[in-house]
Amino acid sequence: MADYILELKNITKRFPGVTALDQVSVSVNRGDIHALVGENGAGKSTLIKVLAGIYHPEEGEVFLDGVRTVFRTPSESQQKGISVVHQEFKMSESLSVAENMFLGNLLYKGRLVDWKAMRLQADRMLRDLGVPMDVDTPVERLSVAQKQMVEICKAVNRNCKVLIMDEPSATLTEKEQALMFGTVRKLKAGGVTVIYISHRLEEIFDLCDTVTVLRDGAHIATKPVRDVTRDELVSMMVGRTVTKEYPRAGTQPGEVVLEARGISRKGVLENISFQLRRGEVLGIAGLVGSGRTELARALLGIDRMDRGEVLLRGQPVRIDTFRKAIKSGLSLVPEDRKSQGLVQIAAVSRNICMVNMDAAASGFVMSAAKEREISREYVDKLDISTPSVDTETQYLSGGNQQKVVIAKWLLEDSDIIILDEPTRGIDVGAKSEIYNLIVSLVAQGKSVLMISSELPEVIGMSDRVLVIHEGRLAGELARGEATQERIMSLCV
Amino acid sequence: MSQLAVRRDLKRRLSKFTRDYAIVVAIFLLMIIFTIASDYFLTYRNIRNIFMQTASLAIVCIGQAMIVTTGEFDLSLGQNVCVTSAVMAYLIKFAGFNPWIAILCAIGVGALVGLSNGVLIAYAGIPCFIVTLGFQMIARGAAKIITNASPIPAMPDEIKFIGRGFIGGNEYGVPISVLIMLALFLFFAFIMQRTKFGRSLYAIGGNKEAAYFAGINVKGHRAITYTIAGLLCGVSAVVLVTRLDSAALTNGNLYEFDAMISCILGGISLAGGRGKIIQALFGAIFLMLFFNGMTMLNVNPFVQDVLKGVVMIGAVALDVVRNRRR
Repeated sequence: MADYILELKNITKRFPGVTALDQVSVSVNRGDIHALVGENGAGKSTLIKVLAGIYHPEEGEVFLDGVRTVFRTPSESQQKGISVVHQEFKMSESLSVAENMFLGNLLYKGRLVDWKAMRLQADRMLRDLGVPMDVDTPVERLSVAQKQMVEICKAVNRNCKVLIMDEPSATLTEKEQALMFGTVRKLKAGGVTVIYISHRLEEIFDLCDTVTVLRDGAHIATKPVRDVTRDELVSMMVGRTVTKEYPRAGTQPGEVVLEARGISRKGVLENISFQLRRGEVLGIAGLVGSGRTELARALLGIDRMDRGEVLLRGQPVRIDTFRKAIKSGLSLVPEDRKSQGLVQIAAVSRNICMVNMDAAASGFVMSAAKEREISREYVDKLDISTPSVDTETQYLSGGNQQKVVIAKWLLEDSDIIILDEPTRGIDVGAKSEIYNLIVSLVAQGKSVLMISSELPEVIGMSDRVLVIHEGRLAGELARGEATQERIMSLCV
Repeated sequence: MSQLAVRRDLKRRLSKFTRDYAIVVAIFLLMIIFTIASDYFLTYRNIRNIFMQTASLAIVCIGQAMIVTTGEFDLSLGQNVCVTSAVMAYLIKFAGFNPWIAILCAIGVGALVGLSNGVLIAYAGIPCFIVTLGFQMIARGAAKIITNASPIPAMPDEIKFIGRGFIGGNEYGVPISVLIMLALFLFFAFIMQRTKFGRSLYAIGGNKEAAYFAGINVKGHRAITYTIAGLLCGVSAVVLVTRLDSAALTNGNLYEFDAMISCILGGISLAGGRGKIIQALFGAIFLMLFFNGMTMLNVNPFVQDVLKGVVMIGAVALDVVRNRRR
């Protein structure tokens, strides 16, 4: 009989109107790195929350180390050895690394806090995991990757048997990701079992031993990673065979619509020049913090550029505010959908008509009926899954939210669309819909500038790829030349 | 979309509707209680008086509600009413201005105070708490300087009708001040619900960054909102001075907080982006009914203040509890 650290048997969790988990049974081998995959809404988060003591299943049993266990509260779950590293870190930003690692679990000497022991222990732990850092630094000054390491240490610090990681790589660069993988492997070697949730399938093949697929709240399969192929995994997740991951428009890029000459911004961008053609997808690759987003912001007048010139259809233009950029036919789907892309508490229809209010107005007066009518049209066109156009966007899934963001720029009918991480944190099915959208945009003669950290996506979608490194243009690769290896070698 | 998801969506919208208009039910309950407790309460004259007393506060509520919709608040509104009252009375009594010109000047001063607030908050980026608290003190000080800390009484007859006049006879007529208040509410409700400007304020209150990334002029809209609120303080001052027939330092006192309480009671979210300004009117009516009824029942006025605090915290607590359950 196999040695299971964790066994879930027939777990069912219902919410009003929806069964989030339907008789799910999963067994996790001791010491494995166990991947949990599925589209958004498949039930991954619900399953984690059951293990974390946040949700309580209506049916089913959990066995931890062979003993039937009930997790009533998050702290109970932690005490019993299950820790979760959430996507959004739960740390006290102004406190030091060491203090955060011991938060709620401080070491004492007598009745006083034993700072010395905590600092030593924190330092040792970070070194052991291969990520040494100054334990006195306030967490707010750390990079995302460093914060994550602190979170992992904090979790492991509590006598953790099972570490659950919820999309740990979503905000990391390739290099940071490699470092994080190293840490996870060291944890495994130290006897910790890891449940690893990710949207990036490559990672699962690199890192994990076993993979469990969930779909629509049901358990589809649990298999050793070496026994499945990527395509099998994708088709298990979406329930159909995805033949071609990256669609192509098959049109030839036309004349130059946007030209950037020598764009510079002190300490951020240095002398970047490029051209974007009509009907072209121009990919921008580079590490997080290399200046990709900053380049977009400078082009769009959000940040001031110190030097440089922008030409639209051959005419020099001065874009010093984002509003001017919009009027000139530029648009931005920002990287952070939740905080920048949408007014989450506003209805789908309000969000769709937020840029081009004139479309639903006559003069100054807006018509709610017209707003709804326009929105329904876009909801149909982009196949946005929402109960109605009056639903607040916060209740939509990530992929549908992203489609709403794109819809508002389609309504504005911008010629040049800048997409910053357009598929971050959305599931495989929605990703391919976004790719199809991009293709239909360029087929209509629009131009797309796509910033992405996912190399396969940049390579698969782009006609050309610009690589940015430390604020400079490190290289330009044509389609066919762009491989993961070549891009990475320019990135670092 | 599954049927279940649609049903959940309907439920959410229904709960939003009940949250928005729970105050109307509360007003009726309050009226029933006071009607039973006091013979005089439900008379035309008393209800009319309540509405006349509500008018000047309710006009300030419009501005506060608009600012609250953008996710901020203005602590200077009450003292803005005070200083514009003083300006108006001073110009009429001591500078020999035509009363109508004086009224325009007072409204202009109100708008100017609002604009200063708005520019410092939106463009200089100083927190609204600091700026509006500062202007509260500045306005109070200026009002003291102008009035020399003593009331300026006896307004000319030609403008008294604004605060004291009725349309349709003194016995059963409708107060002009109440009509002004209602007209302003209708106008600004239209602005908020049906114009690009109003929709932009909701977007800003919902998420300033997302509003910016949708090409909305966030700073400009915020500055204009404070200016409108200031202008309405001027209008409120005109109604108040003509009703009381005096510009005193007590004019508008604590209106900023009463207006915020009205917004909260009405169910407007202090976080911004939600709620309709008409709810602030209901909140203000509730507040005034509450005090009128209490006074009529001879409740100690000091106790009334305590009750005001209790009612406000209670209203928010109810809302918080309900949101948590969802």
